[in-house]
Formats: sequence, C-alpha cells, structure tokens
Amino acid sequence: MASLSTTSLSFKAPSIQSTRISQVLRKASSFQSISFGRFHSSKSLRLQISCAAKPETVQKVSDIVKEQLALSADTALTAESKFSALGADSLDTVEIVMALEEKFNISVEESDAQNITTIQEAADLIEDLVQKKPATSEAS
Amino acid sequence: MRISAMSQMQRVGFSIELPSLVPLQLPSRMETHLWYILPDEVKSKSLLKHYSQLLSPTEKHRVLQMRGDELKKNALLARTLVRTTIARYQTNNASDDPRCLIFKKNAYGKPEVDNPPLHFNISHTDSLIACGVTVHVPVGIDVEDKERKIKHNVLAFAQRFYSPDEVNFLSTILDPEAQRTEFIKLWTLKEAYVKALGKGFSAAPFNTFTIKAKAHTKQGYDLCANSVEDTSKCNGDWKFALLELAGSHYAAVCTEYDQASGGAPLRVIVRKTIPFVEDELISQ
Repeated sequence: MASLSTTSLSFKAPSIQSTRISQVLRKASSFQSISFGRFHSSKSLRLQISCAAKPETVQKVSDIVKEQLALSADTALTAESKFSALGADSLDTVEIVMALEEKFNISVEESDAQNITTIQEAADLIEDLVQKKPATSEAS
Repeated sequence: MRISAMSQMQRVGFSIELPSLVPLQLPSRMETHLWYILPDEVKSKSLLKHYSQLLSPTEKHRVLQMRGDELKKNALLARTLVRTTIARYQTNNASDDPRCLIFKKNAYGKPEVDNPPLHFNISHTDSLIACGVTVHVPVGIDVEDKERKIKHNVLAFAQRFYSPDEVNFLSTILDPEAQRTEFIKLWTLKEAYVKALGKGFSAAPFNTFTIKAKAHTKQGYDLCANSVEDTSKCNGDWKFALLELAGSHYAAVCTEYDQASGGAPLRVIVRKTIPFVEDELISQ
C-alpha cells in the first residue's frame, strides 16, 4: 500500500463568509503560491472552491466507510477521520469510492479516487460532482 | 534455518539489552530480499515497548493516530520492520542502530534511505506486514490476504479499474472463487508495479497497463502495453514475481530490469522475522 503525503490548506476568505477555499496538492513536493483573488492552475495544483459538504453527505459517507471497513456501529467518525487511520488500504479506498459512486450516482476519476484521504474530502468531492451533473436530481 | 536468540532472555527477562540484529550482506543484483512479520506472533508488551523506542517522534505520532489497539500495534510493527530490516544491511562503517536511520521522500512521496544504498518498499494487511529490499533497482511490493473478500462484483470492479485485456482474462474464469483469486493476484501485481515506479497512482492508472502471466512458464508475469493492435508487445523493463507467504497471503514483487543481471528471472529470498528475537529463512 503506498502512502502519498498531501498537504491541504484552508483559509477563510474575508469577503465570502461561508465559503471554504481549499487547495489540494497532487504531488508532495511541488508547491506554488497563489495570490488571493486570482487563481491560476498548473499541473501540480488542483483548486477546489466549494461550500463545505452538507452534514447529511458526511453522514452517508461515514456509513459507507463503516460498512466497508467493518467498523462497529458505535465507532465515532468525524469529517476529519482519515481512512488510513481507520485501517483502510488502497483496495478499501477503491471499494469505498465505488460504493459512493453507486450511492450518489456519480462517476469519480481514478486519480481523484486515489487522492481521497478523509471523510470530508470524500464528501466535498461528491457534492462537487453532484452539482456538476447535467440532470439535477437529489442524491438518494 | 532458524536463528533464535530467546534462550538467554527467557532466563533473565527483558531487563537486559536485546541482542543486536544479525547483520547481512546486501542482496545481489536481480535478487530481492523479502522480510515479513506476522503480528499475531508478537504478543510481548515489553518487546513492543522496545520497538516503540526505535521510532522517530513523527513515526510515534502517526502510530498513535491509528484508531484502536490492533491498528496501533500493526503500525508500530510496520515501522519496526522497516527500520530493523534496513539496519541489518548497514556496511561496516555505519552504525547498525535502527534508530539512526534517516528517511526522506522522493518527489512523489515514496520513502527512501541514503545509507545504506538500497531500495525498499513496505506493504501490510491486518495479519501480515512485509518489507522488500533491493540494491541498484527500485522495488515495489504488495501483499493481500488470499481470503480477502471483495464487496463488489469482481467483474464490475475490474471493468471499472483494470485494463480491457485483464477484464477479458477474468471473464473467462467461470468459477467465482477462482475469479476472485485471480482478481486479488492481479491487484497485488498491479500495486507492486505502481509502487516500484514510485510516482504515485496518477502516473500509472490501473486501466492503462496490463499484467499477464508469461506463456510457457509456470510462473512469472509480464507488463504489457494496453494496445488493441499488439497485446503481445510486452515491456521487458520490469520483472514480477508472485509468491505465497505463510500459506495465507499473496505477495507480489516488482523490480526494474537490471542490464547487468542478463536475462535472469527475479529471485526472491524470503525471511520471516520477529526483530531481535528470531529470524527464519523460508526456503523457496
């Protein structure tokens, strides 16, 4: 099982009160600074501007994670819970992503699938993909 | 061949220093040394405490982040296995103290060590932790429980993540259990390749390459391009081996082809260990 270190930064934008801007690095070492208000993309940066995922989404992700990893129902999971700290290996992560695709009727790119490390990241990605779907329909 | 250092310790308990690790010569070219621990065999709390003293502060912190005692123990054993294994290969001039090893990461996050000059890779499951070591060429390993159940339909999983050729291969296997087994074997081989490459999963998504068994030989696998026109074109730059460990796990080893070794197939030397307690050479 490989482990990649990722760094995520989040900071509150003063003019957008309820928005959380998070910056996800694909590769461990390359880092480029961004200036606020002007975002440039490069191969090594992936910027995601999204509202923090709804609590219901986080809960649904937690349920799927508990099932895949065979955790007891009373295991306390938070949005920040890391898959690796729960004992998930890469095969587990892929199975979790497949279960999320089925649950939310979305399609996750493989490179995105491998980069999900916490419940929050999974929930954010799901909501991002659900919003982008052409036919608007409530996630089940 | 079994080397046991337990007898002296059993008389006086763990109040004395544990014996040093038995030093070893570096692997030769085209040879991979594969070491593994079975967590169920490590029960002594004082031994685990000794292991925890080998770790860096960062490693200790990561162990403590694991949720639950079993996961903490396995994380501790994983770092212990890496440090003690590498320390065995120290050349005479350097200290063989596992605590003195300094790890760094390559540009993509793959862990490396400068001294001694070897490559290593680690993989773990709930019940087995393994570390592969090579010299001169990068190595990737992956282990999986043979009995691991896949929650999704195996073919649906393969269609989503594997290459078309691999899906075709799996779909020819009619018995579901045999199909699941071949799926798991392929998973370990593909993981081992990506880890040997050391550039992260984005560099080699699973559906962009095919691994297939070599024709006309009992074992050995080839990495092949994903081209519909010419699937016989296989990349000779990477060598694979698939083994069974402890009767319970598949272990895939992938190393880069080394010109100097000629056409020799990959040779894996397997040892089971409880660091500082017992090393056992498992004959292949």
